[in-house]
This record gives sequence, structure tokens and C-alpha cells, in this order.
Amino acid sequence: MTGTETETQTQDTHEPNYDEAFDVIVVGAGLAGSAAAVTMAKRGLEVLLIERGSSPGAKNVFGGVLYTPTIRELVDFESAPLERYVAEKRFSMLSHDDETALSLRPGEWNHDPHNDSYTVLRGEFDEWFAQQAVEAGATLVTETTVTGLVRDGPQIVGVETDRPDGTIRAPYVVLAEGGNSLVSEGADLKDTESRENVAVAVKEVLEFPERDGVIEDRFRLVGDAGVAYQYFGEGAVGDAFGGGFIYTNADTISVGAAYRLEDAATQKQSPEETLNLFKTHPAVAPLVRDARTVEYSAKTIPEGGAESIPDLVHDGAVIVGDAAGLVLNNGVHLEGTNMAVESGYHAGRAIATATERGRRDADVLGAYPADLEQSFVVQNLQRYAWMQEAVEADRDLLFEALPRAFADASTEYFRMDRQPKESHAENAKRTVLDALGGWTGAAKLALRYRKVVT
Amino acid sequence: MTWTIVVGVKQVPDADEVGIDPDTGRLDRANAPAVMNPPDRNALEAALELRDTVGGSVLVITMGPPNATIVLEEAIAMGCDDAVLVSDRAFAGSDTWPTSLTLARAAETLEADVVLCGEETTDSSTGQVPPGIAAHNGWAQLTYAEELEPQPDEGRLVARRDVEGGYELVAAQLPVVVAVAYGEFDPRPAGLHRKIFAENDFEPREWTAADLDIEDEVGLDVSPTAVGTMETVEPVERRSELVDSVNALLEPLEETEVVG
Ligand SMILES: Cc1cc2nc3c(=O)[nH]c(=O)nc-3n(C[C@H](O)[C@H](O)[C@H](O)COP(=O)(O)OP(=O)(O)OC[C@H]3O[C@@H](n4cnc5c(N)ncnc54)[C@H](O)[C@@H]3O)c2cc1C
Ligand SMILES: Cc1cc2nc3c(=O)[nH]c(=O)nc-3n(C[C@H](O)[C@H](O)[C@H](O)COP(=O)(O)OP(=O)(O)OC[C@H]3O[C@@H](n4cnc5c(N)ncnc54)[C@H](O)[C@@H]3O)c2cc1C
Repeated sequence: MTGTETETQTQDTHEPNYDEAFDVIVVGAGLAGSAAAVTMAKRGLEVLLIERGSSPGAKNVFGGVLYTPTIRELVDFESAPLERYVAEKRFSMLSHDDETALSLRPGEWNHDPHNDSYTVLRGEFDEWFAQQAVEAGATLVTETTVTGLVRDGPQIVGVETDRPDGTIRAPYVVLAEGGNSLVSEGADLKDTESRENVAVAVKEVLEFPERDGVIEDRFRLVGDAGVAYQYFGEGAVGDAFGGGFIYTNADTISVGAAYRLEDAATQKQSPEETLNLFKTHPAVAPLVRDARTVEYSAKTIPEGGAESIPDLVHDGAVIVGDAAGLVLNNGVHLEGTNMAVESGYHAGRAIATATERGRRDADVLGAYPADLEQSFVVQNLQRYAWMQEAVEADRDLLFEALPRAFADASTEYFRMDRQPKESHAENAKRTVLDALGGWTGAAKLALRYRKVVT
Repeated sequence: MTWTIVVGVKQVPDADEVGIDPDTGRLDRANAPAVMNPPDRNALEAALELRDTVGGSVLVITMGPPNATIVLEEAIAMGCDDAVLVSDRAFAGSDTWPTSLTLARAAETLEADVVLCGEETTDSSTGQVPPGIAAHNGWAQLTYAEELEPQPDEGRLVARRDVEGGYELVAAQLPVVVAVAYGEFDPRPAGLHRKIFAENDFEPREWTAADLDIEDEVGLDVSPTAVGTMETVEPVERRSELVDSVNALLEPLEETEVVG
């Protein structure tokens, strides 16, 4: 450029307008939203991805393991910011002061693809994932909260945001706003979940300032290996229905508890108290000793299961991820990340096909719920639908009597005294059987829960 | 008559993200993401309010590296009409003298009636640039402006200036350079469509030192400021002691001659 070209004429930047400039608006750049966005952008759609946080993931409370079988297919996974792969899963029952645990360290998990289970920090991961959508051609707008939907008759034709000049129209809207789905509820696309079907989760990220290597030493880790510990019983969440967890990140650990909102209200158990109780349990305290809290956060998790899934498709809109209640949370499994990505992917495909055919009615989007039903998402949720109720019915037994009985039984079984082992074994067996209601009770219980693992 | 209002904005390391390098004990600015100097948002708001009353256009300029474009986009999102990135390797090592010369020339080229700046930056915080622009161009200057009252018919801008113990009202003939008091003029949020436009479709104009005919007047060689030595000051050890009575407090204070 030469000096004479520094003319003062200005570009015509007045009142830009993007109504109908995009094929689809995605509300929320979490896992489900970015999965939908990247899927559609790769099919050539113009995608607007709206996120309320200062960056995607900035507000995400998640303590855990990201399950990646679908993400791996969608994007260049090599560049993903992962903390550690899960080399050990540990399920632990805590009574007031006992622990009985089962630890699994299959050798296969140490090898690529590490059972597609990695701990991540969502602040970093979500930003990266949204960036993959942007690189595929999507447009990301942050610091913008969607406050409502725009309708033309029954048809959803756009969104309203909290910004001035904040309404924007597009043929389709993907609602990927997570569990606290104010937009979907406000637009009557789904009911507000009842308290029994919502868990409250609290999580702390802890670091060990004293020295390096604390995590490796305490959790018996080398390299990128990490652990996912899950805890049940009264020592984990008191009288509430839920569990505690510890996950290792690269230089920090995530410690948290999740339990039913209903219990938070009726048992008067505050999230802070519950988490403190868990952290001071004799089996947990040594793992978090001398740690410094770097982050504290709380959030809700939908756990209504298959029955709580709302209508996924509306005229001009679809609901995906946690907003659609797609979380499996039954004690053994806590899986929402894989379901969020899978649902975003199927929804994105359906909208891409509809756009290519130039149609926008609910019928043409029917491919999304149909595909989802065939996928592991709905199949898994249905498979475990019974479990929530069963566990609730057996709650005292499972969370209080049994953890205590197992601890007492092991105390008996391994007791060092001058009695023969046979009598120890007999005592141990009796302790457990008493708790279970004799052989009949045990058989019934085994029958009721066999589907958890078979 | 409408006004051409030019706003200078600078990118600075995000103060929230500036850490201390544990090895050297120095501030680690290199790893902090660049953001708009917060006081410049107040200048932008003041400019947009002037445009709202007087009419005209708001043009935003930054002298900085190519990635400084993001602060220009933010200004466009807020409502500015156009933006210029003044960028050149020749600027490397410039202190406030050549920086304000460059901005002065750019303001002149843009035929500015009013130049608005922030009070100071959060990284160098000299506050010298706005008066420097005024001095290079021989224009009037209004610093620490808390309120602005445009008088377009008289070709005048009146500022309420924050001064020790009160304020004063000062009227300046155009063209004038204004440094806006930090925290005054609460910045407006960006409109949705403008934000999308600014971040995705807007391209600023780019000027080099040669475009402004100042290639021999900028850079390290012509920067009069010389940094002597830098000293890291260790915090003084403090002693804490509890006393039971006023007299017990007075004694040691007298001893150390804090009170006579
Ligand atoms: C403590 C905790 C631990 C968990 N542990 C595990 C685990 O170990 N493994 C697992 O698989 N799952 C786990 N989950 C569940 C998992 O986090 C969720 O299932 C998953 O994050 C759902 O993804 P999503 O994209 O649907 O929603 P989210 O990840 O919640 O993303 C929603 C996004 O939308 C944005 N947003 C919301 N409303 C608006 C709006 N109005 N306008 C604009 N943007 C908006 C949010 O800022 C957010 O970025 C856990 C959840 C919690 C809370
Ligand atoms: C000896 C010395 C050497 C330096 N060497 C370098 C160097 O090598 N590289 C380097 O990057 N910096 C260097 N600097 C810093 C640089 O010169 C200053 O940051 C710059 O001159 C602006 O000064 P300031 O930040 O104190 O602005 P202030 O005077 O505090 O800023 C007040 C207002 O002026 C406006 N303004 C200031 N700077 C700009 C700008 N660049 N574009 C548009 N508007 C602006 C803004 O509205 C701002 O709010 C050096 C400084 C010194 C003292």
C-alpha cells in the first residue's frame, strides 16, 4: 500500500444483518453443541454456534472421564487436550469408617485407544472441540446467552439473545444448552425435571503444591495413566442417594460428589458439607492430604433415564445432550459425554440431510430420534431404566447396611485370633446374609441386579 | 457539521492471566492472551456517545502487531464505523515518543476532529501517548475527562476534568485530543449482528510507517527513553507484636522515632 491510498473513506459497516445467513443456530458450545456444529459444518452448512461463556467450556463443571469413541471419528483427535487415560477404575463402598473396594486395571487399557476413556479439563477440551467446528467452517459467538426462541406460528425460526439487536433467524435451531435447559423449558419443548430426577453435583479441583509426583505416588501411576475412583455408601454422600468420585488430571485431581437434588432439599445436606464429609473419610483423606483447592463448582445432572427423554424434535428445532436428559447415571456408570456427542452427531446429520432437501418440518428431522434409538444412547438408557427405581427401593440396604456388612465380614474373615478360620468364614458369611435377609434375600437381590453386569 | 472521531486502542496482556515466572520472579507477560486495554473501552464509549449527539463517524486505530486486529474487531462490534491497523517492523522498540508521533500522523491522515484515548495502559501506564499526539500535531488536549459536552456549532468540545479536590470545566477548540478518565463512560455491549460481523467479516485497513511517511522517525533508534537498570525489590520483613496498653504501644514507636 502506498501513502496515497490512506484515503479516509469508510467501509459500509452500518447495520449488518445475518438473518437467514446461517442454515442453523446451535445453542451452547458444549460437547453436544460442538459435535452437532462440526458434523453440519463438514457437510457444508453455515452454522452459528452461540455460547454464553467467555469461551466454550469456561463455565463447565465436570469432574470426569470423557468417553471418546464418537469424537475420535468426527475430528482430528490427535491434537485433543487430554489429561490422562483411565488405567484403573475403582468401585468403593464406604460406610461411616470402613472401605471395601474393587479395583480393575486391565492391561489393555494401557494401550491405544485406551478404552476411549480420558480425564480432561473441560475448560480446555470444550474450547478445542469448538475450535474444530470453527475450522470446519462454523461461526462461534461467545459471551452471548440465548434467552428465548423466535416462532412463526408453530415453527421455530430463530433465537433471541441478551445482546442489543439480539434476535437472529435461521431455518433450524439445535438446543444443546446442557442440563439447566432454560431455553427449551421456557419454550415449552420439555417439562422441568422433577427433583427426584435431578442430581446436584459439587466438584473441587485440587493441586498439590508441596512437590511434583504426588499424584503418581498416591495413585500408583506412570506416564499418562490415570484413575477413576467411584464411591458409594453413607461415607460418600451421607444419607443421600448418590456417590462420590476422584479423578486424576495431569497435575490436579477432581474430587466431587453427586446426589439427588431431592435429598439436598429434604435431608438438609448442603453440597459443601457433603463434599467435606467425603473428603474427610478415613479412606479418602490420605488421598487428598496437603492439597490446595484451585476451583470449586456446583451443577445439576439430569438422571431421569429413558423415560425422561422429552420429544427430541420440534418444527425447526432439535434437543441434544444433557438438555435432552441423555445421561446414564446408575452408580456403576456415569456417562453423559459420549451420549452428548452421539446425539449431537445424529441431530447434525438429520439437519444436514433436511437442509440438502430444502425442508424444515418435524417429519424430516425424524431421522435423528430414529438413529438415536438404534444407537447405544437410547439402548443403554432403556437397559438401565429399571435400575434407578430398584436402587431407590433398596436404598438403605445398598448404601448403609451392605457397606457396613461387607466391612464387618472382611473384619471377621481375616480376623487374627486363636479361632480356626472356619469359624471366621462362618461369621463373615452370617454378617452378610443377615444384612441381605438370608439366602432368599440374597438370591432375590442378585436376580434384581444381575443386569447391571450381565 | 458532523465530526470525525478517532479512537486509539491498544492491546495489552490480560492482567488476570499475567503470572509470575517462578524461576525468575519476573512478570510473565508473554503467555498471557492479548486483550483490549480496559481504559480504552471507556474511550470507545465516549466516542460513540459523541457520535450519537453530533453525528459523524468513529474510526478506531491501533499501532501494534498484526494480531492486534482482535482489539479492532472488538471496537467494531461495539459500534465503531471503521478501523486501521498501523503495523510495521520499523516500529519495533518505539517508546511513547514515536508511538504518539505515529498515532498523530494517522489521526491527521484520517482528518480527525476529535481523538479519544484511554487514561493510560495497564502494561506500560505512562499516560504520555494522548498528550504526545496533541503535541506532535499542535492540537488542544483534555486529560482525565469525566464528562464531555460537544458544541458542534462553535467547533468546540467541553470536558469536565477530574482534578485534585474537585473538577474543572475546560473548553477546547477542535481538533482536540482527549484522554478519558478510567471508569467513566460505561462501555455499551456489542449488538449481536455487529459482533458476528466484526469477528468474521470485517477487515481493518492496514497502514505501514511508509504510508504515514514516518519510516525514519520511529523505532528504537529515535526513542529517547533509555532504561537504566532494573531492580527487583524484596519485600521488607515485617515484625508483628501484640500489645496490651496504649503506653506499651507508644514506647517502641518512640524508640523507632515514628512519633517524636
Ligand atoms: C460433576 C459432574 C461430573 C460428571 N462426570 C462425568 C463423567 O465422568 N463421565 C461422563 O461421561 N459424564 C459425566 N458428567 C456428565 C457430563 O458432564 C454431561 O453429560 C455432558 O457435559 C453433557 O454435554 P452437553 O453438551 O449436553 O452439555 P454441557 O456440557 O452442559 O454444555 C452446555 C453448554 O451450553 C452453554 N449454554 C447453556 N445455556 C446457554 C444459553 N442459554 N445460551 C448460550 N449458551 C448456553 C453452556 O455454557 C455450556 O457450554 C458429569 C457431570 C457433572 C456435573
Ligand atoms: C524504553 C521503552 C522501550 C519500549 N520498547 C518497546 C518495544 O520494544 N516494543 C513495544 O511493544 N513496546 C515498547 N515500549 C512500550 C511502548 O512504547 C508503549 O507501550 C507505548 O508507547 C504506549 O505507551 P503506554 O502504554 O504507556 O500508553 P499510555 O500513554 O499509558 O496510553 C494512553 C492511551 O493512549 C492510547 N494508546 C497508547 N498506545 C497506543 C497504541 N499503540 N495504539 C493506539 N493507541 C494507543 C490508548 O488509548 C491508551 O489508553 C517501550 C517503552 C519504553 C519506555
